[in-house]
Amino acid sequence: MIGANAEAPRTGPAPARSAAAERGGLTRLRPAARPWTETSWLGVGVVSVAMLVLPWTLTLVNGGNYVTHLIITFFVWGIVAQCWNLIMGVSGIYSFGQLALFQVGAFTTGVLSFSVGLSPWVSIWAAPIAAVIAALVIGLPTLRLRGIYVVLLTLAFHELLRNWITTGPQWISGGGYGLARVPKLGFEYVMGPQYERVFYYYTGLVFFGVATYAIWRVLNSPIGLAFRALRDSEDYAISRGVDPFRFKLFLFAFSAFFTGLAGGFSAHYNGLASTSLFDFGVMINLLVMIVLGGWGTFAGPIFGTAILTFLTELLRAFDLYRILALGIAMAVIAVAAPEGLVPVLTRAFHSLFGVFFEDDEAPAP
Amino acid sequence: MEIRDTLYRLVQALYSGVLNGSVYGLMAIGLTLIWGSLRMLNLAHGALYIAGAYIAYGVLGTLGLPVPVTFAVAVGGAALMGLVIQLALINPILEKPGRDSAALIATLAASIIVQSAILLLFGGQTKELPPVIDGGFKVGTTLISYQGLVVIGAAVVCLLVLTVFLRASRLGLAIRAISQDMDAAKLMGIPIVPAFVVVMVISAALAGLAGVLLGSILFFTPSGGFTPMLMAMVVTIFGGLGSVAGTIWAAYIIGLMESFVAVYVGPSWALPGIFLFIIAMLVIRPNGLFGLGEARRL
Repeated sequence: MIGANAEAPRTGPAPARSAAAERGGLTRLRPAARPWTETSWLGVGVVSVAMLVLPWTLTLVNGGNYVTHLIITFFVWGIVAQCWNLIMGVSGIYSFGQLALFQVGAFTTGVLSFSVGLSPWVSIWAAPIAAVIAALVIGLPTLRLRGIYVVLLTLAFHELLRNWITTGPQWISGGGYGLARVPKLGFEYVMGPQYERVFYYYTGLVFFGVATYAIWRVLNSPIGLAFRALRDSEDYAISRGVDPFRFKLFLFAFSAFFTGLAGGFSAHYNGLASTSLFDFGVMINLLVMIVLGGWGTFAGPIFGTAILTFLTELLRAFDLYRILALGIAMAVIAVAAPEGLVPVLTRAFHSLFGVFFEDDEAPAP
Repeated sequence: MEIRDTLYRLVQALYSGVLNGSVYGLMAIGLTLIWGSLRMLNLAHGALYIAGAYIAYGVLGTLGLPVPVTFAVAVGGAALMGLVIQLALINPILEKPGRDSAALIATLAASIIVQSAILLLFGGQTKELPPVIDGGFKVGTTLISYQGLVVIGAAVVCLLVLTVFLRASRLGLAIRAISQDMDAAKLMGIPIVPAFVVVMVISAALAGLAGVLLGSILFFTPSGGFTPMLMAMVVTIFGGLGSVAGTIWAAYIIGLMESFVAVYVGPSWALPGIFLFIIAMLVIRPNGLFGLGEARRL
């Protein structure tokens, strides 16, 4: 929890808040640790209405269809980046297996709907389940081990899976490039093909919203606190009764669920379960999303995904130098601002405009 | 006839196993040194390996120096890149909190920068280097090239020199002291940061040497450093993290195991076989084959 170090110790909660803490029930979290009890319904309402109206507005604009496509891409990678950040940043497990779990989801639902012939609406639910099972299979041997072992074994898992899927039988590998004709979700029949994307947008929005809310709740729960304790000082956390293996395994499976779901959704949206997504460049892209936005913070990966998704499109002309630029950005962040852009920008914002706020506190990571 | 066939296959497996083991040894020693002293995983190691091969390729294409001189230039170039990475990326984050993750990101960033720069300069086509000595001889059906023997010889000499350096020289003693207890070494007046730089330069030079040597046997592409690095990590872990003798043994054991699986089971099983083996071993012996624990390193 790097961002919180900057926060000055607070001089005790206000009376109204301590009354809320009394009603906190069994968990007895302090109000600051239960942000969902203080939701601004106005803010939530405005944002959700805007998100609901947005795709219809975009259908009226020239080229808006493409923007909708970018937003759907953002939903998919946003889920994966948040999940990977849970593993890497929040709990400090150096796992490089997240993309492989994404592919487990994509290929599970791809095989079930294309090769077996199930309805995509049924098979998509097999994606998160298969990803969770895969995560348990990787997690059981690796999560008892230290950092370098986890790096090696998860990279090995990634390579093995890539190997097996590209060289596997025709109904999995599709001849080496992946399954090119995964059935779509059938939205073109709802209101005609021109509005197909709108419904994909809504499906993606629901998945993204549910995943983000679930991750937010986990981060702000006693479980999230245990993860941060484990990452910052494993020995001390263990001595206070946190069982690292159980917590890590839970987190691994939890993040695999949404990663697999994102993989399944992406396969049905693009009509494609591609082996090219195993490329190291895709993994680097994802990692830069997390590192750029803020390693271990809540908003960081979302912010990073948004930047990378839209910036990549704006800078299409310089595509050749994109990966080089990503590498340089990563190096600069690692040396100059290891906690990422979101905490740095938040602090800059508060130091510039903090006088206008009554309650000057950094947002919880 | 059948006995002869069996013997020829054995020669094939032994030769390519020792060859693999030599290259893995050169790669893994660098990772081990860095892990032992800096306590960090250098994800740029594979990029330094491939950089060595490409520097040799570039120098050969433009300057046309003799092959052994070119190889020396390439090793020097890789060492220089290691120096730059250490000074620009690693030294600034040594004292910061969250060092582990920052080091992971920084070395990964270095590897991305090196690889994409190579891609921009040389393109993505496969390249190859000429051998130091052309030709070879046949043992039965197995062609043993002189270049292969050069690789094995160079690797063995380097590993021996490195072992003597670590055991006998003052600098080597300092590096071993740091790897045993960094705080105590600091209190004894050992300059930590210069020693780190030396470790990084040695490790980068060895990675570059491995790339140059193997570049004349196998084709290479800009992303070709990834699998050797993965294998070097396997070797490092198998030998017990941070143990030099263990790493050298592990390199040859893993190299032989890989080639025996490739010859007797099938080439496509070599990599999965090694990975499954290392997973099984970590479950049974989590400290590695020669795991010495934290007390005795290097």
